[in-house]
Amino acid sequence: MTPTLEARSLVVMRDGAAVLNDVSFAIAPGEVFALLGGNGAGKSTTLLTFLGFLQPTAGDVLVAGRSVGDDVEAARAKIAYLPEAASLYGHLNAYENLGYFLDLAGRKVSRAALDAALDQVALPTEARQRRMQSYSKGMRQKTAIALALLRDTPILLLDEPTSGLDPVAIDEFHAMVQALAAAGRTVLMVTHDVYGACQVADRVGLLRGGRLVGSFAASDAGGRIDTETVHAAFAAREAA
Amino acid sequence: MSAMWRIAREEWRLWARSRVVLLAGLIIAVLIVVTSVLTALRVTAEAERRADRQASAEATFFAQPDRHPHRMVHYGHYAFRTPPPLAAFDPGVDAVTGQSIFLEGHRQNTAMFADTRAGADLGGCAALTPANIYQLLLPLLLIVIGHGVVLRERESGTLAVLLAQGQSGRAIAGGKALALAGIAGVFLLPLAGLALFTAARAEASQASAAAALVAGYGLYLAVWCALVLAVSLWVRQRSVALGLLVLIWLLVALIVPRVAINTASAMIDAPGKIESDLVMLSQQRKLGDGHNAADPAFDALQKQVLEQYEAQSVEELPINWRGVVAGYSEQKLTAMMNAFAEDRMRREASQSRIVTWFGLASPTLAIGAASRTLAGTDLATHHRFLRESEGLRFDFVQGLNDLHAKALTYADDAARSTDSAAEQRTRVNAASWRLLDAFRFAPDPAEVRAARALLPLMVLLGWLVVLGGAIGAGARRLRP
Repeated sequence: MTPTLEARSLVVMRDGAAVLNDVSFAIAPGEVFALLGGNGAGKSTTLLTFLGFLQPTAGDVLVAGRSVGDDVEAARAKIAYLPEAASLYGHLNAYENLGYFLDLAGRKVSRAALDAALDQVALPTEARQRRMQSYSKGMRQKTAIALALLRDTPILLLDEPTSGLDPVAIDEFHAMVQALAAAGRTVLMVTHDVYGACQVADRVGLLRGGRLVGSFAASDAGGRIDTETVHAAFAAREAA
Repeated sequence: MSAMWRIAREEWRLWARSRVVLLAGLIIAVLIVVTSVLTALRVTAEAERRADRQASAEATFFAQPDRHPHRMVHYGHYAFRTPPPLAAFDPGVDAVTGQSIFLEGHRQNTAMFADTRAGADLGGCAALTPANIYQLLLPLLLIVIGHGVVLRERESGTLAVLLAQGQSGRAIAGGKALALAGIAGVFLLPLAGLALFTAARAEASQASAAAALVAGYGLYLAVWCALVLAVSLWVRQRSVALGLLVLIWLLVALIVPRVAINTASAMIDAPGKIESDLVMLSQQRKLGDGHNAADPAFDALQKQVLEQYEAQSVEELPINWRGVVAGYSEQKLTAMMNAFAEDRMRREASQSRIVTWFGLASPTLAIGAASRTLAGTDLATHHRFLRESEGLRFDFVQGLNDLHAKALTYADDAARSTDSAAEQRTRVNAASWRLLDAFRFAPDPAEVRAARALLPLMVLLGWLVVLGGAIGAGARRLRP
């Protein structure tokens, strides 16, 4: 089966230094893959390379079996991207933000569908008509997640998706990601949150200094990745 | 196209919700409206006043009693330059060149009563015209509004989200360009209104000149929109972009024009009217005094005329020798004065061309040249006024000299200071003053003005093409 997302011996250099160095992985359709790593490990760079915002110095990234460099806009059309900082317009309310970005993505969505997505991320109804500049970080994150859901794409790239969310919302988010994966969506998320990653991912990769230094699959551990194991491996790799 | 349109609409919504943008836009709009109304009122009143004064000057000339024709040569006449309708937008060189000339024998006087002299009483406020607002302040507004048009998206992280929706850099840059062009278009509306007003009041030629003027300013503002967008695409920080654009504005709107004028003056020495008059006076003495028929400078002429009429002395001539000398002297003098005037105007025109070529370094200079030309208030139009008024002067002076030569006898003319009867006979009938032609100065036809404005407009087009290339390259490499 063709992997939905694949990195082949990926090298990305920035300012003369290798941010990603010979990174290879493949994510199957319906799989949730979480990349863990410290600051500067190359997690966000990996996502930006799949989006075509950064060019591989060597190697390649493929979306649905096709090199991103061949048709970057076609690749982006298959991807819903949730950036680390929920970047939406402060002068617009939630409906206006969603409507605008979905228009640009070529999706016409009814007000009812918008409300359904906003209900799903538990954004308070009374906040939806307010300009986003008055939102908390968590409310912004929820709106951005709603946008990613409404894009209705086969692939989700999530950069620190639970950042700013309260514990209840984090649990709800994880359940939502698993439901999406069960419906066939492929998810690549990068995070610092070892516990969250183990809870939601089918597979966890460890990035360190731009190299993929370890990988744990839930299928190898009876359906659930053991947090302690990953944590210990992660700590050991960091110490090395 | 729909994505570009959508991006532009969103930009407009942002600006509509920004108090800073609304306030800045309001200030510029008020300035445009106020200066347009005030300048239009002033120019319209001035046009009527000058037309009245021209008619009044002609009536006064015609109303002179029977006189010796040479007294009428010195009585003189006035020529007024009526401002064209589009001077209400751009008074151009009118502000400094003067609007009326006193026409008399033996002299080419300087045009008098420049607007700036009258405006000095208003603390120089009269110099603030709609053209100034469009040329200097509107670009500043575009800079304030637009410097962050892409950088704001980059710095807030929304650029990544925009691109992630499958939009290309070209579509985003196109949408932002459309948004800026929309703002520029809104501010072109008052000018378009003025053009329509002009078209309604003037002949078709003026209307097409007005349309060309609107198109010219559209091109100029498009250049600024492109510059603002290009900087926003290529620079990485908003503060740097703002500083850079303000620096560019200072250079192209204030410094380069000053440098252009100084360079043109240094390259081509154009002595002013007074200076060249002083040089001319020394040469004038060599031509002889036309009031003195016995001046040795006219000996050759006397010999030639006596031979022509087969006469032995000037007393035997069938025409008045004094009138002949006056006409001959005026012709020689005028040829010399015209040579000086043409040389001075050629130098001024060369200076003006150099300044126009500086438009390659400053779109503000380019639009200034195009604007004055299309409005009919440029240096070439002023020079034409000088030539036409000089033609009027020469014709009426020579008409009077002809009367002097043909209607008066030499004997009466020579004796008129001592013989009152002779003096009476040297007075010609006042009906003769009708030889003065009516003078009505009109701007060049629109096609002539458009042809003259082509060079600065092409310079602006060149700017737009270069900046379009920079935008295209910046859009292709657009990344969060």
